[in-house]
Amino acid sequence: MTGRRVSGGDMPNFSRRTGQDASGIPDAALAALLAAGTPLADPSPPMQHVADALAALRAAPASDETAGKIAALAQFRQRVGVSSHPIRSRRRRPTLLSPLLSAKAAAVAAVAVVGLGGVATAAFANALPSAAQKLAHDTIGAPSPHAGSSAHPGDKANRGHSGTPVGPNASGPAAFGLCTAYASASQHGTATQKAVAFRNLEKAAGGAANVATFCASVAHPGASATPGGGAPTSHPTGEPSHPTAAPTPHPTGAPTAHPTGPPNNG
Amino acid sequence: MIGAGFAELLAAAQDGNEEAFTQLWLDANSALLRYLWLTAPEAAEDIAADTWVYVIRGLPRFRGDEAAWRAWLFTTARRRTVDQARRRSRLADVPIQDLPASRLPAVADPADVALEHMSTRAVIALLAQLPPLQAEVILLRVVAGLDTEAVAKLVRRSPGAVRVAAHRGLRKLAQILTEAGVTL
Repeated sequence: MTGRRVSGGDMPNFSRRTGQDASGIPDAALAALLAAGTPLADPSPPMQHVADALAALRAAPASDETAGKIAALAQFRQRVGVSSHPIRSRRRRPTLLSPLLSAKAAAVAAVAVVGLGGVATAAFANALPSAAQKLAHDTIGAPSPHAGSSAHPGDKANRGHSGTPVGPNASGPAAFGLCTAYASASQHGTATQKAVAFRNLEKAAGGAANVATFCASVAHPGASATPGGGAPTSHPTGEPSHPTAAPTPHPTGAPTAHPTGPPNNG
Repeated sequence: MIGAGFAELLAAAQDGNEEAFTQLWLDANSALLRYLWLTAPEAAEDIAADTWVYVIRGLPRFRGDEAAWRAWLFTTARRRTVDQARRRSRLADVPIQDLPASRLPAVADPADVALEHMSTRAVIALLAQLPPLQAEVILLRVVAGLDTEAVAKLVRRSPGAVRVAAHRGLRKLAQILTEAGVTL
């Protein structure tokens, strides 16, 4: 035989030219070869050739087959190796979102503070409906809805040991809201000026006469807002039903840093 | 194939143990390459590396025995191969077994080479002379160590078709080697 060479070109005819030698190999023998490379029961030349070929396919890895090990290990180290437990890598995703959520919450809180404007007046007078008061408490440091109520004597956050309301800390994060409310209230000259919150503000400013100067130095909270209780779950829809001080859309006499409205007449 | 210690090795690798992962990689990478030298001779190394990227990504969530592990590896490799073929040759939706013969490796006389050295690469070149499905099925059975059912699922054929293809391929292989005039 002069060597029937097989090439890709005559492959379609190849099956018709298969010789008699190999076609006699029983299926069971081939199945055994495929399964485990078990020793041949009948080592006829065709079977032996196939067995040798399959043994070559199963040979131990050559050096060029392990060349990618370093790269694969680097991938593994990056993806899995840093985790001491597989579950941890699954939990990694939510933490990527948390800065976004925090930023969003901060933005919502800042918008709420800016948008409240005159509502802050009522808020610091603790005159809003409970839900709105709660929101104001969470976002701008107004008294909590229960601060003035004896129904919750355990609410020590807004009460002194003697049981008298202490109001928000006017030298703390609540200063901006207090200033907004004070500016509005002072225009209308209502009794809300006597609220504990305002007394705290006057105290922090070093007297009622110094409040305007003090408030001018208070930074806008939007720059470093840190929401205490997470993002509000809804918009502040609660309007003051019986406001002791009418909210004004353009509070005058606002501090120079006030973003909600330009000062009209100082 | 790893055998009895596989479950332990897998758990350790999933726990971040580099030594365990290295053993899994050493056990399977040569098999992946041998399969890919047939199905994607021009990009075998790239596709093998790409396959490991996917496998490493999914490793913490993988559940199964060694047979399932092997099936997952080769399924991933096969998908990556099809993707690569689409990108490279614009032969959209052409299964591996239908790729033209021009994509198969050109070896002057693979039968002679195989008989002289019987090296792994030479046998793969020889398999490339067979109809692609037959060659792929043989490699998945022998090199990947998958059983007929797993191969059938992977190449989307019936187990009967896989069995017939494997046996036909082996008979042709025997024929080629015998006709090349070899006596061992």
